[in-house]
Amino acid sequence: MLVLSRRAGESVVVGDEITVTILEVRGDVVRVGIDAPRSVSVHRAELLAELASSNQGAASPPQEAVATLAEALRRRKD
Amino acid sequence: MHDLPVIELVHPLPGFPEHRRFALVQLDEDGVLCDLRSLDDPDLRFLVASPVPFFPDYAPVVGDDVVAELEIEDASDVLVLLVLTTGTSLADSTANLRAPVLVNTTTRRAAQVILDDATLSVAVPLAP
Repeated sequence: MLVLSRRAGESVVVGDEITVTILEVRGDVVRVGIDAPRSVSVHRAELLAELASSNQGAASPPQEAVATLAEALRRRKD
Repeated sequence: MHDLPVIELVHPLPGFPEHRRFALVQLDEDGVLCDLRSLDDPDLRFLVASPVPFFPDYAPVVGDDVVAELEIEDASDVLVLLVLTTGTSLADSTANLRAPVLVNTTTRRAAQVILDDATLSVAVPLAP
């Protein structure tokens, strides 16, 4: 990992197209601006972790659970 | 909704980096519930559902980058699917509204798209 010290208003350039700017530092919160092409997705790491965890919890549900859900749906429709 | 034998994920699902090819198989006559089955691993599948019967007002807004990646030319080609986490009943089953799976039914390109809307949760009860 490359570790750099930056002040508010200073930037780091990643590759040719991504610029990360430190906008503000207040207490233990740092506001970061990311300028990247639209093809590069930028997400909070904890959201990706939450999504991975949600997907892992959803994966390969037991057949009985699927059948129960399908039956509940049918009953709801009637 | 209909069966699609091969769907190609343009990005793997978070948590499942090795799986890119899936089949969509309808599970009920109304086409509400479907199985998203990995073509690379016969033991991996996800239960997915159309949002319409559960969340009629759900209308995900995606950026131009998603439109380009999925090669969407007509919004009517796009199938919106919610990944479900099953419980023992409808009441304790949840749907991921924050990151729907969008499928371009024409090109068979798909992705789980993270919506830029922090009010949407990854686990919303199916029957509130």
